[in-house]
Parts: sequence; structure tokens; C-alpha cells
Amino acid sequence: MIRLTIDGQEIEVREGTMIADAAARLGIDIPVYCYHEALGPLGACRMCLVQVEKMPKLATACTTAVAEGMVVHTSGPQVDKGRKGVLEFLLINHPLDCPVCDKGGECFLQDYTFRYGPPQGRFQEPKIQKVKDGPINDLILIDQERCVLCQRCVRFMDEYVGEPQLLLEGRGVETVVTTVEGKPATSQFAGNVIDLCPVGALLAAPYHHKARPWNIERQESVCTLCPVGCTTLTTGRDGQIVRVEGRPVVDRNWGWLCDRGRFGFDFAVHPRRITTSWLNGREEAAARTTREIGQWLRQVIENEGPDRVAFVIGGLHTTEEAHQLYRFATEVVGSTGVVVSRDVPGYLPRGLNGTFEDLAAADAVILVGTDPYESVPVLHLRLRERLKNRRQPVQLMGVAPRELGRPTLPVDTLVTHVGHEADVLAAALKRGAPQHPVVETLVSKGAGIGQGLSEADLARLGDALLQSERLVLVWDGVEPEVEAAFIALAQVREGKRTRVLPTFGPSNWRGFERAGFSAQYAALTQVLEAARDGEVRMLVLWGADLLREYPDRRLVEDAYQKVQWLVAEGLFLPTGHEAFSAVVPGAGPGEVYGTYVNMEGRLELATPSVNPPGQARPTKSYLTAWAHALGRPFVVDDEWDPYDDASADLLPDEPVPTTITPIAAPVSNPGEVELVLSAMVWDNGIPSQILRSRMASPLARVSVADAERWGIREEGLVRVESRGETIELSVKVDERLTPGRLLVPLGGSTIPANRLQAGPVKVQRVEEVQAR
Amino acid sequence: MLDGAKAIVKGLGTTFKALTAPRDTYPYPEKRREYSPRYRGKHMLAKDEEGHELCVGCGLCEAVCPAHAIRVVAAEAPQDQPVSWTNRYSVDYEVDLIRCIFCGMCEEACPTNAVRLTPFNELAAYDRQSMIADKEELLRPAIRK
Repeated sequence: MIRLTIDGQEIEVREGTMIADAAARLGIDIPVYCYHEALGPLGACRMCLVQVEKMPKLATACTTAVAEGMVVHTSGPQVDKGRKGVLEFLLINHPLDCPVCDKGGECFLQDYTFRYGPPQGRFQEPKIQKVKDGPINDLILIDQERCVLCQRCVRFMDEYVGEPQLLLEGRGVETVVTTVEGKPATSQFAGNVIDLCPVGALLAAPYHHKARPWNIERQESVCTLCPVGCTTLTTGRDGQIVRVEGRPVVDRNWGWLCDRGRFGFDFAVHPRRITTSWLNGREEAAARTTREIGQWLRQVIENEGPDRVAFVIGGLHTTEEAHQLYRFATEVVGSTGVVVSRDVPGYLPRGLNGTFEDLAAADAVILVGTDPYESVPVLHLRLRERLKNRRQPVQLMGVAPRELGRPTLPVDTLVTHVGHEADVLAAALKRGAPQHPVVETLVSKGAGIGQGLSEADLARLGDALLQSERLVLVWDGVEPEVEAAFIALAQVREGKRTRVLPTFGPSNWRGFERAGFSAQYAALTQVLEAARDGEVRMLVLWGADLLREYPDRRLVEDAYQKVQWLVAEGLFLPTGHEAFSAVVPGAGPGEVYGTYVNMEGRLELATPSVNPPGQARPTKSYLTAWAHALGRPFVVDDEWDPYDDASADLLPDEPVPTTITPIAAPVSNPGEVELVLSAMVWDNGIPSQILRSRMASPLARVSVADAERWGIREEGLVRVESRGETIELSVKVDERLTPGRLLVPLGGSTIPANRLQAGPVKVQRVEEVQAR
Repeated sequence: MLDGAKAIVKGLGTTFKALTAPRDTYPYPEKRREYSPRYRGKHMLAKDEEGHELCVGCGLCEAVCPAHAIRVVAAEAPQDQPVSWTNRYSVDYEVDLIRCIFCGMCEEACPTNAVRLTPFNELAAYDRQSMIADKEELLRPAIRK
């Protein structure tokens, strides 16, 4: 530790800390453009000049490391003069277009000029003209005249994301930030450069000329499009959300977002969003529909009993809304069928749930089935940051039916057959701890073969699983038996920390569970089977779209046919809405106050910035109306609070289950091609018009070898046969996909993946008729 | 009798004196007063010599208005059809003339000198709605007859 004095205050910091960070810890603000803690020092903008005693000249606070006994002055005539000079140079070619600049009012160049800058420039010559409002891609604009060349954007893309799509071109005053060879930047993390830009050079195209900082409602919120639950700021203007920005949380996250979350906010105003009710397939006033549903509810309860009503929650609801629905279902109605909509069968016990801090401290990370880049993009950035920290090396492995990772995040993947993940984990455990009773129980039904994998591969995985001090697994939940392997693993590892991050949805499933719902897949199946057998008269789907989400589409179709009253609430019409008795419009994220629980089990508060549109109402409104129709009391404003006293913003920890369920012996797959189902955040069923161009491409993928075999060049159409059904899929060739695999997004809106079953399938190419 | 006649003469004397005295009132609306050119009346939105609007919809007038009488919505103009001198322009520009206190802060805040207060002060209407001046109205400043 090093002691130094900044502006008369003494502070002790770690060796190697920069003056700027030490000052920030004291609450002293040093102006800076180029420096960002996540990116490291550069010293390009010269804005952070400070006076260090015994140094002959002013020093840059962001590149000067602290030294013992250092005395720093961050203000004073000499410092002010230095900063004034720097600003005068920065402003020489800066256009005077603050009134038309979107950054005007929240711009660091404005703020610092106001505070330190010269009142007038001495430069009389004409300013250099550069590109204004040029595209980085169709979502990001660049104004090269406004750029102060801090290089934050270039370094973020190059060093942090590892996809160098931005660069500096030209020399001297002609230097500009531009894309490589003028091609649009394609990275899904490119949107972060908008937040990083300290001036108005990089702007969000959807927000261009939309609003100004003083006429907007900017609220702290949470992105709900994937289970990462990134913290955001939503900007509301005139009753519409017009922008989403990342919100850094000190010591927790940098505020990075993926483009899906940053620009996908417009589902709230999407043409498909419903703002009126539907009654028996026709549009109807909300009041009438609500009254009608209340009558049905009463009829079912009085004539056939409360157990004939079942509730399924899903979608983007908050924990509080889930709790209200749970109270209504169990106390007012008296139903026992209260479950969460699931699109994969896996479940993770709370006791095994890890946090991002675990990830940052892990010495081994194993991806089971999931590719974070596609399903939980910001976790990919976290993994990269963990990998870049060379002081503590980390082993990154994968167990999945296909090759995981990217060039920017190399993953040592053991490619298994579809449905063999649990078996491979068991095989690795069997090699690593052969005599252990827990492992013996786990493999007692014949698992642990490790088909297609070499002894060395399994030994390597076994070492990573058992020898690492702090192990983090990331799991997609597609294969339910993996849960048993995790529980066994935690027991074999005894005292060493073993944690799992689940990447499956719905985004707030942990919150629904906290509210009282059962998130077990078996519970949902049980409700659907009861419905199919005619034991459920009324099925209430709260945000859930089972026909799209539930893995077995046929069971849902049968259940829908048998149920007399099918009632749905949601932002969009559910799949097969023609069969529904009633659909009522609900309020979405950014429109209600509440908490979300992310994949860490962390509670995150979201504040609304707009009101629900049209006749859309929050959950509470409907429930109160129905309780009234039933003539029963319903108290919604109760003391319930999702937060726990002891664990603060994390859900309370629970003991890890101790019973070991043996894993069944895997079925060997004879098929030539195996179907892999995987969650993809770009096609999770939530539409966006802003992102239309990015989402349009077919998401189902074939490998290069298979494509050659079938004669598909870049994109094509294939016929897939599985479970006795045949569907046609448009596919794209994916260079990184393992041969013999067909990758299909899970629960997407474009492909009915739940008609298919993971595993061996018959694939045939369909000749396309090209319209030219 | 004589006293009466005296009183009448005195009274009429006052009347005739007043007939020739200079007047304090105007026969409005036939005759109107001259105002100082700096008089702050109804707003207008100015255009430049090429007919482009000066207003870029920056919203500074909206921000500075102490009576919250101004509403501005900006947008990007289509590439080939510029509305203002730059690609940003105001789609909506409304002044609520009942709320307005004619302080002139909007004029002072305007970076492009687009919004100006004219000496026009004949602001009367039968309903409140017609007292909200929209952009159309502000672009064609009213002239006193």
C-alpha cells in the first residue's frame, strides 16, 4: 500500500493505482476523456493534468502511478491554465453545433469547457470539415468533426471486445475514427461505444434528434431480454421509451450492454403489441373482457371447484407482479396449479447458484451446452475480462454437442453427442474420483461412458472439475440430468467452491420462484397433462406463450383443445390466439415498478419511465377486478418484499441438495445429423423493428461440411424430420459449427423449434425456386 | 336665475376647454399606438434568406421557459428535403400564449435567433385551444393592421 496526499487529503491505495483512480476514491473529480478504468491508461486527451509536487511540469493523472509520499494538487492556477490550454486545442476544429447535437446538455466537452475552458478561441481560420452523421452501422452514427480522438471506442472494440472494427485513420488534424475498410461494424457489442463516447461523436441512430436531456424521463431500470439482467437507464419521452443506456454499478459491472438489449427496447411500441382486449377471437373493450373472465372464473370455482383453474406465469413480469398473481391464485381462487412457463427442462437448485463475483474469481470455468455469445452476450464480455486478467490464469472448457467459443474467447470444447452432456460430466468424475461413493451412485445406472471422447480429454475435464479451487459452470438447462451431475460434483469437491450460472429463461424465473411459483419443469408438465386429461377447465397464461415455449408442442396443443376457458395476458397475442377465449393486454418492463431476479439470484430494481399504452394494465388491476367479481377480499398492497434481511440484494442461500439421482445410460445416436437446440437472445420471441435488419437472417445453422454435402452455398432450405413431423427450415452456413449438427434456436418466433426433438434427425435439402 | 345661468356657463366652459385639450385615449381599433420595436408580444419563427427555417429544435427555449409554455419536438429531415438550414428541425413547435408571460427568455436563449417576440399584442380568442400557437402560425407572423 502506498500513502499519498491529494488536495490535502491523505489516502492509502494499492501499488500501481493511477492518480485519477485514487482521487476518484476520495470523491475528487478529475476531468478525463480518454481514460476508462476497464480499458486502462492511455494519456491521449491530456485533459486530466494535475500538479505533482517536485515534478517540473504538469502530469496526466490517468497515466501517472502513485508513489509514496506524493503530494498532488488537482486545482490551482497552474492546473487551470494547463486544462484551459488543452481545451482550446480540442475546440480548434470542434464545430459549434451544440444546438443540433444529441449530446448537448450531457456532454463532457460542454461541461469541462464551461468549467475550465477559455471563453473565446483565438483560432480564426476556417475549421476542417469532416463527415457528419456518417454510419458506423445502421444503428450507430459518427460525427467525425465532433470527435476529440480519445480512442475509447477504438480501444473498447479492439482490446475489450476483441473485434477490431473501428480504427483511427489519417494523421494530425485529419485523423478520424472510422470503420475498417468502410464496412459497417457488425459486432453485437458495438453499441457500447455510444455510452463510451465522452462527446457527441458517436450517436445512437434510433435516438437521433429525438429528445434533449431536460425533456426526458430517465429512470434506472433493468434489461429483461436475457437472464443476465444488465442494469440500464431507460429514457422516456412523450410516453414512449426512446433510448436505453448501460448503467455502471460501482465494483459490480461496467454498464456494458449488447445491441439486442440496447436497441431492442421498441417491443413496447411494436405494431404487434396489443393494447386492447380480445374476446373469443374478436377485439373487445377491456372492461367487458375483464368482466367476462370474472364470470367464467366464478362459474368454474362454484361449479367444479378451485382446483380446476391453473395459472402459468412467464414473459417479462416482475417479481412483485408474480407475487400478486400467486396470492390471487392460491388465496382468492384456491388453485394448486401455479407454475412457471419453461422452454428447457433443466432446473438449478438455489444453493448451487453462483454470482458474477464467483466468475471473476474462478480458476476454472466450464460451459455446459451454452454459448454465452449467443444466449447471454454480456456474460461473454465478463468471461473475456476474466480471461484477460493474466495475473490469475483461468482454464476455460466446454462440454456441449457443438464447438463453443469464438476466436476472441477460445474454449477448449469436448464435443459430445446430443443428450450426452451429463454422461460426459459423469465420465470425467469417474476418471477423477473413481472410488468416491457419490460418483458410484451417480454412475450406477450405466452412465459415464464418454462416447466419442478420448481418455486424455476426459482426464483434462476431470482435472478441471476436481482440481480447481474455485469452479464456475455455465449451464443452458437443455439436458435436465446435468443437475444431478452438478450436485454430485459439489459433494465430491467438498469444501471447494462450486457454483453454476444458469442461462435459461424466462429471464425472471428465479423471481417467479421467489414469489411462490414452482419453476420445476415437472410441475408445468403435470399441469399440462392434467389439462389434456380434462382436469383443468380454465387455464390462465400470465405472459406465457406455451405453444412457442414448451418443448413438447403436441402436449400443449392437446391441452389447449381440452380446456374450456383459455385466458392469456401479455404484451403480444400468444401463438394460436384464435383458440383463446380471452386475451388481455399487460404492462411491460419500463411501465411498472418492481424487481427482477437475474441469473445470479440478484434482485434488481426497475423504475418505470412511461405508462402502459392504450388499455394495457398492470397485473394488479386485473386481479382486483376478478377478486371483486368473485366477491372475495384481495389485499395486494401487503408487506411482502422480495428482499431478504440477511442476504441483501441476493436471494437467500439454501443448502445444496444431498440426494444423488443416478444418471441414465446415454442412448447412442446412430443418426448422421443431430439436432442441437440452443437459446439465442437475437430470436427469443420478442420482436423489434429497430433490430429488424439484424434479426432477419435465418438463425438455424448447418456446418460447412454438411452444407457441401447437401449443396447449400450460403443459405438454403432444408426439410427436417423428427418426432414424426417434418418442417422446413431456412438455414445459414456456420463456419464454426461442428459437422453433423444442425443448430436451431430455442423458443424463437421464426422457427417452431418445439415441433422438433433434439437428437438424431433426418435432413434433406429442399430445392428453392429463385425469383429473379 | 342668474346663479343658474352662471353655473351653466361655468360648466359648459369646462366642457369646451376639454374639447380642445390634447387627448389621453385613442379611438381603438381605428387608431393604434406606436410601440417600441423592443416590445415583447406574440412569438414568431424566423427563416433565413433561402427560406430555410432557422429553428433546429434544440429545445433550449423549452428548457428556459419559466412558465412551461413552449413545447418542441425535433426530428431529422429527409436527406433531399431540408426544412431548416441543417438536418435537424422542429416537427412541432407550440407556444401556449395564455401561459406565456412574455419575458423574452426564449428569444434570449435561442442559439440560432429563430424565435423572436414581435410587437404584435392583439391576443384575444373565444377559447383556450385557439390560444396555442402552432408552428404554422408562428412561421407566418401576424402584422398589425
